[in-house]
Amino acid sequence: MTMDAALIRAILRIIGASLVSLIFVTVAVFFITAVLPGDVADALLGQAATPDAVAALRHSLNLDKPVLVRFVIWVNGLLHGDFGVSLVSRRPVLAMASERLIHSLLLAGVTALFAVPVALVLGTTAAIFRNTLFDRAVSLLTLCVVSVPEFLIATLAVFIFSVQLHLLPALASISDIHSIGSFLASFSMPVTTLACVIVGQMSRMTRAVMIDALGSSWVEMAVLKGASPAHIILRHVIPNVIAPLFNVIALSLSYLLGGVVIVESVFHYPGIASLMVDSVAARDIPLVQICALIFCGAYLFLTTLADIVALLSSQRRHAA
Amino acid sequence: MLSRRDMMKHGALLAVAGGAALRSCPARAVQPVRGGHVRVASTTGSLSDTLDPARESMVTDYIRSAMFYDGLVMLDEALVPRPALAERIESDDFRTWTLRLRSGVQFHDGATLTSADVVYSLLRHRDPLVASQVRFQAAAMRSVRTDGPLGVIIELCEPNISFPSVLGMSNFAIIRNGTKNFETANGTGPFRCAAFQPGIRSLAVRNPDFWKSDGAWVDSLEVISISDDMARHNALLSGDVDIIAEVNPRLVALLRQRGMGVMESPTGTYTDFAMRQDIGPGKNADFVQAIKHLFNRDQIADSVWLGFCRLGNDQPLPPEDRYYNHDLPQTTFDPDRAKWLLNKNGFLHQDLPPLICSPAANASVDIAVLLQNEASRIGLRLDVRRMPADGYWSQSWMHFPLGFGNLNASVSADMTFSVAFASAAPWNESHWRSPHFDELLTLSRREADEEKRKAIYYEMQTLIHNESGLCIPNFITSLDGYHQRIKGLHPYLGGHLMGNNFSRFIWVDDGAGARPAESAPA
Amino acid sequence: MTVASLARWWAAIPRIPGALILFWLLLAVLGPLLAPFAPGEVVSRTVFAPISAHHLLGTDYLGRDVLTRLLCGTSSTVLLCATATLLACTGGVFLGTIAALKQGVTDTLLSRFMDGVISIPSLLSALVAVAAFGSSVPVLVLAMSLIYMPGSYRTSRMLALSIVRRDFVLAARMRGEKAGYIVLREVLPNMMGPVMADVGLRFIYAVRLLSNLSFLGVGLQPPLTDLGSLTRENLLGLVYGAPAVIAPALTIAVLTVGLNLALDSNRGEPD
Repeated sequence: MTMDAALIRAILRIIGASLVSLIFVTVAVFFITAVLPGDVADALLGQAATPDAVAALRHSLNLDKPVLVRFVIWVNGLLHGDFGVSLVSRRPVLAMASERLIHSLLLAGVTALFAVPVALVLGTTAAIFRNTLFDRAVSLLTLCVVSVPEFLIATLAVFIFSVQLHLLPALASISDIHSIGSFLASFSMPVTTLACVIVGQMSRMTRAVMIDALGSSWVEMAVLKGASPAHIILRHVIPNVIAPLFNVIALSLSYLLGGVVIVESVFHYPGIASLMVDSVAARDIPLVQICALIFCGAYLFLTTLADIVALLSSQRRHAA
Repeated sequence: MLSRRDMMKHGALLAVAGGAALRSCPARAVQPVRGGHVRVASTTGSLSDTLDPARESMVTDYIRSAMFYDGLVMLDEALVPRPALAERIESDDFRTWTLRLRSGVQFHDGATLTSADVVYSLLRHRDPLVASQVRFQAAAMRSVRTDGPLGVIIELCEPNISFPSVLGMSNFAIIRNGTKNFETANGTGPFRCAAFQPGIRSLAVRNPDFWKSDGAWVDSLEVISISDDMARHNALLSGDVDIIAEVNPRLVALLRQRGMGVMESPTGTYTDFAMRQDIGPGKNADFVQAIKHLFNRDQIADSVWLGFCRLGNDQPLPPEDRYYNHDLPQTTFDPDRAKWLLNKNGFLHQDLPPLICSPAANASVDIAVLLQNEASRIGLRLDVRRMPADGYWSQSWMHFPLGFGNLNASVSADMTFSVAFASAAPWNESHWRSPHFDELLTLSRREADEEKRKAIYYEMQTLIHNESGLCIPNFITSLDGYHQRIKGLHPYLGGHLMGNNFSRFIWVDDGAGARPAESAPA
Repeated sequence: MTVASLARWWAAIPRIPGALILFWLLLAVLGPLLAPFAPGEVVSRTVFAPISAHHLLGTDYLGRDVLTRLLCGTSSTVLLCATATLLACTGGVFLGTIAALKQGVTDTLLSRFMDGVISIPSLLSALVAVAAFGSSVPVLVLAMSLIYMPGSYRTSRMLALSIVRRDFVLAARMRGEKAGYIVLREVLPNMMGPVMADVGLRFIYAVRLLSNLSFLGVGLQPPLTDLGSLTRENLLGLVYGAPAVIAPALTIAVLTVGLNLALDSNRGEPD
């Protein structure tokens, strides 16, 4: 009973701490965007940004108020559930971001479904058969794939499969997807490109962690005691590797939301990463804010999960 | 249409128009047919995409605008203003312009076009809240008022014979009186807005009530933007899109080899290097002259543009312009003279401000690197500072002593001179102040005699060439790629894709023999 | 710390094959001197030219000598990315193990800070860093190491967490050893395998980040260049099979794959 209560307290502490991070990042992003050269008035007017035009527009958008005042206004809105409207399009940023977020989650989800099992299997088998030809081959392959820049992989794939062979569409426009078939055709290249980026890291970390776990004294002891391989894996290996593995998976998945600008632009896929880049370029602060909140929230959600798994697994080990 | 009498009576300008439309009416054997869906990939698109004509500043905005809206006039292939929503534009003194609107034109929401719409559309540019790209040009209109339901009287602050061209700017498109919401477009144009998602796509369907019977052949158009060069070309080659804007010169050979069409449009668009004359080394005329001699224009033409450009002579009118000064001696690549000039003034051993460039200004980073290399050969050290594309125009451009910029093909010589070279010009990149040039500009705007105006323009080009701190190494030839089933495209002086007006002219030929050659000769 | 423990520690670090590292470092330092042309010089009127006697690796998208640019690009990529990776991983591993060892407030503060840094989009951080401190090589290296330190921190902390609970660490703590001693002597040698795998990958990411920063206009200034940017600026050459795009991509692959395999094969076995 006390054990459980302590555990729950520990979990709550982890969640509480990540909320603190969220607030820290929100505040930091607000002031970082304030430091960026130029504001939305400059960006909107571009070459037509004469001083008087900028000043007038700035005034009408409340941008001439001190940054602290703007921060208070923004936080106040946030507390009332109002994320604000885009300074450029005047549409609510929440609607704009959630539209793109759904697309991104779809792409990230499909990629994760594909990449995580592949990486775990590759890493584990490489660890079991370590220092064999198989291990070397897996190492070489995953390293090669991760070391080639993704814009090159994506471009080469499009040139081969769309331009030369006419097998797949060159663009993954979400509006053209009407069936499972067209979904698979549109998604295969972006998903493969993204998988190339994250499988390398995940499988290599899996291998490294697995090797350490397999070489640990518990495992050696269990082997000496004549335990079955399944027993060894379930009772001794998995509890020891689950935390670091979950951590590396969490890091890779969080990349799938925010780090995929290049894939989004090559395949013309309307995800949230390009929205973020756009909003930074347009200095559309409310939109930058909500994108940052989403990235940060997703990252913290995943890493908090990893932390909790780590906690649980260490509890389990101690209990065992 | 304008009557012959009107032309003879009033418009030096419109008469000129008649004479200058040299390349119009290319022989077309086939009659356009209606129907078809066309997908277009443009270059720039972002969340800042807009349907508000006043705010348009990017290629994709202009393309959309030409589908949904009409201007009072429309510029033809030689940049000559032709009647559009205004049937007639007349003036006796070039200060007060009387417009007669076409009757029976309908907006997409069913309302009929009246003079009130025009007054609203033109006057709103003054409002800073509108954030208009043409506030400077709109400021030249002292008053705009209605004269009956179809009459509009525009009074300018000072006479300007080129004023009708101004109305041909995409930003001066006519919207419905009182429009404040631009989530969709309510114009009079040949297509209606069926979908508009900023940064993603827009969908246009043909407007059955379009006032012009010929034109707007295709049933629907989808416009997307792909900023990645290779991805855009791949989309054309794979058949995902039918037309792409801005073919990279390096891929022209590939497209042609695979049976795609590449349209070459000689335009007045240029990338320039500005040496400010109010601060830094540009204050010294010898320095400016030396740097102009350091531009290896032939090499830039070969390396950067692969020949798809024309030679520039440090003045802003392209060789195709009817006022181009052919008598002006060409600035040549002359490193020896440059070295002598620089050495004379001690610049060879000075720390100079960096060359500011950015991907935002077309090819400026490449041109800067070539200049840097030529400079290093004569012992002049120039640093290149590449700035981020975002924020370049408002934060860097014109802010530094030495920097690159670019200017899109302008609607008229007068417009180029007044926005980029007059003392009060907002885009006077080299901060050049010449009272004589300003006088000539004022004079040219009142000069009804074509020959006399030409002489004035010649002198103005000479002044820019000799005195301003601007170096214009080349004029860019715009390249657009298209599938062979797309017909009706031909080059416009005003910019690529027929000055962004292609949607009004193209038609789809899916007939036999029009299939692209999949197996192009290797 | 005694000489003996230092030696032991050194032995536990994977003995990175000196030859490989030396080769790349030598190439980085001497490469630009061996270049046949100036990196900004246009040497041919043909762009994307194939391999020839004059230009061993052909010409690039402007008609410059690819070999020259490759030697210069390799130099800056190796030097900058190695420095940034070393900084990021040294900092990350050290702080990560300390956090795992101390736990409590130190751990919470460090972890929250690192989480905060990592979840600020790197585009924003890079733009701000350059806006605030200008775009110079030291700023670039610092920005890159700051962007990657949190990842290394997280990985190390996770690895260390499971080690600090093991008996030999507990025993050392019972003996009253100092934190620094425990980290260096007991914890680090036992997590070197995964840490080295992480270092190798971070180097790959550093190469990629450097080219992305250049693409955004906040990276190296011309005529300096890096391998990723060389690949990107010549991307159009892909359709013509130009060595201008293949050569830098291959160089990246050989450099990063080689380094990672070397780190793998010379990994110290845990105690």
